[in-house]
Amino acid sequence: MYRIQIDRSLCSGFGACAEIAPDIIELDASGNATARVGVSDDPAVLDAAAACPMAAILITEEEAA
Amino acid sequence: MTPRSVLVVGAGLAGARCAETLRAEGYDGELVLVGEEPFAPYERPALSKEFLAGEKGASDLFLRADAFWREQRIELVLGQRVASVDRDRRTATTTGGREIGWDVLVLATGARARRLPFETPRGVHVLRTLADAVALRRELIPGARLAIVGGGFVGAEVASTARKLGVDVTLLEAGSVPFERALGPELGAKLAQRYREHGVDIRTETAAAAFETNDGHVAGVVLTDGKTVGADVVLTAVGVEPAHDLGHGLEPPVYSCGDNAGSRGHWTGAAAEAVDVARRLLGLDPLPKQHPFFWSDQFGLRLQLVGETADAEAVEVEGSDDSFVARYRARGGKLVAGLASNRPAELGGLRLELSAA
Repeated sequence: MYRIQIDRSLCSGFGACAEIAPDIIELDASGNATARVGVSDDPAVLDAAAACPMAAILITEEEAA
Repeated sequence: MTPRSVLVVGAGLAGARCAETLRAEGYDGELVLVGEEPFAPYERPALSKEFLAGEKGASDLFLRADAFWREQRIELVLGQRVASVDRDRRTATTTGGREIGWDVLVLATGARARRLPFETPRGVHVLRTLADAVALRRELIPGARLAIVGGGFVGAEVASTARKLGVDVTLLEAGSVPFERALGPELGAKLAQRYREHGVDIRTETAAAAFETNDGHVAGVVLTDGKTVGADVVLTAVGVEPAHDLGHGLEPPVYSCGDNAGSRGHWTGAAAEAVDVARRLLGLDPLPKQHPFFWSDQFGLRLQLVGETADAEAVEVEGSDDSFVARYRARGGKLVAGLASNRPAELGGLRLELSAA
């Protein structure tokens, strides 16, 4: 499982993450990226984090409970 | 095979993101980032906006805190540039006289501001670097007359900031409306109207032919039609050109990314290329391709464009003057680009619409 954390002080609302992993990350009313879920097993979150121009998305791998 | 040493030439966004990605993806060898400016990698887009307005200082612009580079073991060599590269010996020599060995060389030298092809007196500025922005900011005092040559994104954003600072602004645009090529004539006309409402004297279908001077300082801009615009300070914002061609073919182990490569001055494009190069040289799969994107903050609008407007035949606009979405469609109705103006939440949806188109 991947834990998803978004640094909102870095996020600039470019939306690349919401394009790559739309089931997991969306843009909120002010345009900032927000995770729909805290953890996910979808590896698309890794691509979304790697593609963020602000490097604002931190993914940590967790053992499944 | 994983390299033992990587030298990244250029400490702008592309160089920084390339180096960071190498570490994030597990590269453990030597990693040196050489930058010509005497600053750690910083956020260039803010120079024409928050920094010029005095809302952000230089220390607010750094992409990462100093400690980050140390912790990541990314050595920053700043205030010097790479003067020569010896491809056979795999070394580079900086203007500071340092020789740096490399297994892989990444050229991320970026772009420099294009200049006008005639002599520029004192008081004529460009805006590309932090030093440029500091010099320009010093002259933007209330009541000063600023002439901006070039109605592109830098020109428009500086115009917007300067009006907030109480500066008189004349904007010279070569086309019939600003952003005609990037956003199309309808949106261009909408923006021109907005600039006028904000007190900008916008002159279209004209260009600078020469500068008038007084005692070696700029006093005005002579236009191609012979008219003159009086000015105390001038910004030339006529685009960028790739900087410092180090004269190399780009076969591995030499790579390039950013404005000197293909990203055409688009900030997020430079970042995407940098990540792509880092992954390629580590043998990782490329990331899913994203749509081209850029944004601009000007005259109370946050404009975010995703996609390519070049093939658009029609544009549909819905919303008000301040807050709208424009959809660009090619012949046959296929969506090719979307523009969100003060609708940041809709950008994600526009990206997905484009992916589905």
